[in-house]
Amino acid sequence: MEARYQVIVLGGGPAGLNAAKYAANSGCEVGLIDAGTRLGGQYWRHTGQEDFDQSVHHDFDQGSLLMDAVRANKRITIHSDTNIWSASIINDEVVLRTKAGAFITQRLIIATGAYDRSLPFPGWDIPGVMAAGAAQSLLKGHGVLAGKRIVVAGTGPFLLPVATGLYTHGATVVGLLEASAKYSWARNSVELLRNPSKALEGLGYLMELRKGKVAVRFRQAVIAAHAGADGLLESVTIANIDSEWKIRSTYKLSCDVAAVGWGFTADTAIASSLGLALEVDATGSVTASVNENQLAKQSNSAIQIYAAGELTGIGGSDLALVEGAIAGLSVANSTRDLKVLKKRRKKLRRFAQTLTKVYPVLPGWNSWLTGDTTICRCEEISYSDIKAAQEEFDASDARTIKLMTRCGMGLCQGRICGRAIADIMDSPTHERINSAARPILSPITLGEVAQEGLL
Amino acid sequence: MITFTYEGLPLEVEPGISVAAALIKHGERVTRFTRFNSKPRGIFCGIGVCFDCLIEVDGQPNQRSCITTVKEGMVVRVQHGS
Repeated sequence: MEARYQVIVLGGGPAGLNAAKYAANSGCEVGLIDAGTRLGGQYWRHTGQEDFDQSVHHDFDQGSLLMDAVRANKRITIHSDTNIWSASIINDEVVLRTKAGAFITQRLIIATGAYDRSLPFPGWDIPGVMAAGAAQSLLKGHGVLAGKRIVVAGTGPFLLPVATGLYTHGATVVGLLEASAKYSWARNSVELLRNPSKALEGLGYLMELRKGKVAVRFRQAVIAAHAGADGLLESVTIANIDSEWKIRSTYKLSCDVAAVGWGFTADTAIASSLGLALEVDATGSVTASVNENQLAKQSNSAIQIYAAGELTGIGGSDLALVEGAIAGLSVANSTRDLKVLKKRRKKLRRFAQTLTKVYPVLPGWNSWLTGDTTICRCEEISYSDIKAAQEEFDASDARTIKLMTRCGMGLCQGRICGRAIADIMDSPTHERINSAARPILSPITLGEVAQEGLL
Repeated sequence: MITFTYEGLPLEVEPGISVAAALIKHGERVTRFTRFNSKPRGIFCGIGVCFDCLIEVDGQPNQRSCITTVKEGMVVRVQHGS
């Protein structure tokens, strides 16, 4: 199968949905390719059942309207459950290969979103320890509570809806730990006043959590997880940390789930495959560089590739919606509403910048690692393996560490540990960007490649 | 409701949810044992990125349980190694 579209949008989350809608409403024939079974992305992940519980969402009404509009639009063809395993530019066209065949276009909008940023710590590979987003996706997408006694930890505003959702759906939130200081907002309070809806949203979570006597414990972090005789999570060690995230004192909490999140990492795999110019943002995340119309930098002038949403810098769903709209209008050469949208984008980007200042991930987390801490989960490489490569063989950069230990060479292709290893090795910008490449973007068998006539 | 088996044990769940969610609903957390240290693993990222929740579904190994929808009669087994 080969399908050609005037415009292809990658990703069915807020940015991709809005990009598709705006491009189609401006006259383009759009193919919307989404890896998910249902539209919505991670943010509007839902079960698809009639009696779906909307209370796990902050603004599902908005998402529902947008998804309905996209489904009803005759100029948009939706390809759900469609994973791209290879993205390349051939003869002045973008060629995206999937198990359902190739999708081809000259105008592409990439809105592939982000996934949780994870930091390694002793025991983070024990079943029961999971990314904060995993607990959220189980609840939003499947109506299932991750556990009964749950510790929510890490840093960032995302921890609040996660803890609130778990609490209101019947779990006991035994601890809600925020690594940043209680007064980290004080210096940036003017940004909260400029964005009252965000402030109110945060306040709403805190008030809901108060009903369950769940209070945020600031400057605390999960620094180790412990398994019981059954091999499953039984307890976590929590540390009071100082302003550099060094451990001051510790205590234990028993729990069956620890949902830990340290912000997000943009999914740059397709952007990197297509040769888009990438940069590293203030948090160390690799992101796509775009101009004021969300147009990405790349070397082929016959094609246009736009990037929108988390891919251009972690900023949340409101910013993703605006960037998607700008990309959708720009790809259709429309200027309608563009001025207003750009003004809104400026405001939301400034708020996102503030969040990175309020919720920084500080290098002191390295001091929580022990020799037997797993760093690369896939290849089971420990911190002492990395130390040995550094000390005995003089490996001084992330790439050499990878070649010597195999860390980052397993099934996830370094998506989980890559950033942590770059931090441990203090990798410079160009190395972080180079390590974002994943030539095979999703699993495919040789048989399936052969069927496409590519072997 | 639909029924699938996990390690031969029949489990009942609502249709439409993932294998990982179905297992967690029944208190089962282990999807595989690692190939070098035989350590148990389960769901970690929950959205198909980390490949930690790999499991054997109807004889096919290496299926991501967090993004595989559970089906009536599905035979799910813990995966050993990779």
